[in-house]
Amino acid sequence: MSHALRVVAAEALKQHRRLFGQPLVLFSMLLWPLLTLAATYYTVLPVMESAAAPQRWPVAADPRRLLAFLAAGALAYTFFFSLVQSAWHFSFERVSGTLEALFLSPASRMALVIGNGAAALTQNAWLFGCFAVAAATAADVLDVAHPGMYAVAAVALLVPAVAWGAFLNSLLIFSRDSAFLYTLLDDPLWFVAGVRLPLFALPVWIKAVGLAFPLTSSLVVLRGALLDRADLGDLAAPLGWLALLTVGLFAGASALLRLGEARVQRTGGLQVF
Amino acid sequence: MSTGIVTTDLRKTFPVRRWQGWRRRPVAAPVAAVDGLSLRIPPGQVTGLLGLNGAGKTTTIRILSTLLRPTGGTVRVDGLDVVEHAREVRRRINVISGGERMVYDRLTARENLWYFGQLYDVPRARLRVRIGELLDLVGLTDAAQVPVERYSRGMRQRLVIARGLINDPAYLLLDEPTLGLDAPIAHQLRALIAQLAADGVGVLLTSHYLAEVEQLCRHVYLIARGSLVAQGSPAQLAGQTVRRHTVRLVLTVADPAVTVALRTLAARHDAELTVDVDDEGRPRFALRHPEDLVGAVVTAVVQQGGTIAGLTVTPPTLEDAILTLADPAVVAR
Repeated sequence: MSHALRVVAAEALKQHRRLFGQPLVLFSMLLWPLLTLAATYYTVLPVMESAAAPQRWPVAADPRRLLAFLAAGALAYTFFFSLVQSAWHFSFERVSGTLEALFLSPASRMALVIGNGAAALTQNAWLFGCFAVAAATAADVLDVAHPGMYAVAAVALLVPAVAWGAFLNSLLIFSRDSAFLYTLLDDPLWFVAGVRLPLFALPVWIKAVGLAFPLTSSLVVLRGALLDRADLGDLAAPLGWLALLTVGLFAGASALLRLGEARVQRTGGLQVF
Repeated sequence: MSTGIVTTDLRKTFPVRRWQGWRRRPVAAPVAAVDGLSLRIPPGQVTGLLGLNGAGKTTTIRILSTLLRPTGGTVRVDGLDVVEHAREVRRRINVISGGERMVYDRLTARENLWYFGQLYDVPRARLRVRIGELLDLVGLTDAAQVPVERYSRGMRQRLVIARGLINDPAYLLLDEPTLGLDAPIAHQLRALIAQLAADGVGVLLTSHYLAEVEQLCRHVYLIARGSLVAQGSPAQLAGQTVRRHTVRLVLTVADPAVTVALRTLAARHDAELTVDVDDEGRPRFALRHPEDLVGAVVTAVVQQGGTIAGLTVTPPTLEDAILTLADPAVVAR
C-alpha cells in the first residue's frame, strides 16, 4: 500500500512538472473558467428575462441565484474536464516513449492513473474552486441545511471526479485515437450534464444519457447542498447513484488496465504511435 | 531455484490485421518474430544476442522485460515465470535502449531519477544515495538540476543509462545502448557494463558494434528469423565461418609470374583468391582460407622475385560469422 501511495504522489508531481512551466500559467486556471462562466451568464440572461422563464424556473427570477447556479456548474465542469485533459496528456507518453518505461516498472497501474488524475484536479481546479466558494460566500447566495453538507458536496465532487479520471486515463493510454474522445467529451459533457441548464429543461433521452456521467449527479448534489438547502435525505438518490457510478468507474478502470496491458503485450502496440 | 534468465522454446507471433473493405481482419499467417528460442543469461556475465535487422533481438528483449507476452515457450527469471510473476520479475530487471527515449524532457535529471526510484519502490534513504551515485557514474552531477530538454544527445543517453540502473537490477537488458554515443562515452559505458557483470549483474547485450560484443561478451547467441543459428564465445563463433584468415598482399609492381604462383597456391589449397589494384594502381591480392597461409604466400612471391609493398593478415571476425551464419540463404539451407 505504501508503494502505491508513493507512486500516486510521484506521478502527481511528475505531471505537474511536465505540464506547468511558468507559475503565471496557474492563473489561466482561474481566468478560463471565469470567461466561460461570463459568456454563459450573458448568453442565458436575455432568455431568463422573458416573463415565462421564472414561472417554470424560479432561479431565473434572481440574477444572483442564476449566477450561483451557473458558477456551480462551471466549477464542477472544470473538475471533470480537467481529468479529460489529463487523460489526453497522458496518452502523449506513448509517443515520447516514457509510457514503456512506466510499464517496465513494478508500479501499480491503478496508482499511476489515479496519481495522474489527482495532479490534474489539484492544478486545474483548486484556484477556481477557491474563487467560487469565496464569491458565493461574499454574494450571500449559499443556502446550506447543515455545515456537514459542505463536506458532502466536496466528497460528491472529488471522489467521482477521481474515479472518472482513473477511468479515462485507463481508456486513453492504450488508445491511439485519444483526440477523438477528447472532442467527444467537451461540449457534449457540458450539455448533457446540465451545466448551463436545469435538468428538467432537457428532453428525457438527454437526461438518460446524462445520468451515465458522474458530473450530472455531482452537480445535482453540489447545487442541492450549497444552494437549495437540501439535506442528506433529500440527496439520497443522487448520492446513491454517484456511489454506484464511482464503484463502476473504478472497476471499469481496473478492467481496462488489465485488458489493455494484456492486449499490448499480445500485439506489441505499446511501441507503435 | 535456478538462477539467471532462462528461455525455453520461446515463441512470439504477432497477429497481423489488414483492411478488407470497412473492416480490419486478421490475415491467415501471423508473423513469427521469435521461433523456438532457448537461451540462458547467467548472473555475473555479459551475454550477447546478435543478428541482422529484423532477426528478433528487440522482440526477445521485450519479452524478457515483460513488455510482450510470449505466444509459446517459457521465460523464467531466477525461477520466476515472466507471465505469472510479472511484477516480481520487473523488480529484478531493467532495460536500457539506445535512442534517448524513456526520460521526461521537462524534468531535470535528478527529478527523473527520483520519479523512477518511486516507481521501483527504492527505499527513501537508499534512493537519495543512489541518485547521487548514478549521476556521478554517468557524469551528470553538474547538470543534475538542468531540464533534460537542454541536454545534448549524449547526455540524454547517459541519463537513460542511469534510469536503467535506478533499481539496482539483478539483470540488465541492453538494446543498442551505445547507439549514437561519442567514442569516449561509449568507452565509459563499456567499462561500466564490464564492472556491473563483475559485480554479479547478468547482462544481455545487443549491439551493432561488434568490437563491443567481442570485448564484453563471454557467450554470444546468434539468431536469424527468430531462431538460434549458432552460439559460443565470440572466438568460437568466428571460427565457425567458412571465411577465415584473410591474407592481403600488395606488390610494388605487377608481375605475371607472381600472379600465376598465387593462383596455383590458391588452387592447391582450395582457397578463395581475389585480385585487384589499390588506390595507387599496384596489384593487390586477398587470399581467404581456414588456415593461415601467410608463410606460403610470402614464399611464393619471393621465389618468383616479387617485391612486397604491404602484407596484412586478418584473423576470423565476428562480422564474418554474422554475415555468413545469419544470411537468409544460409539459414534456409
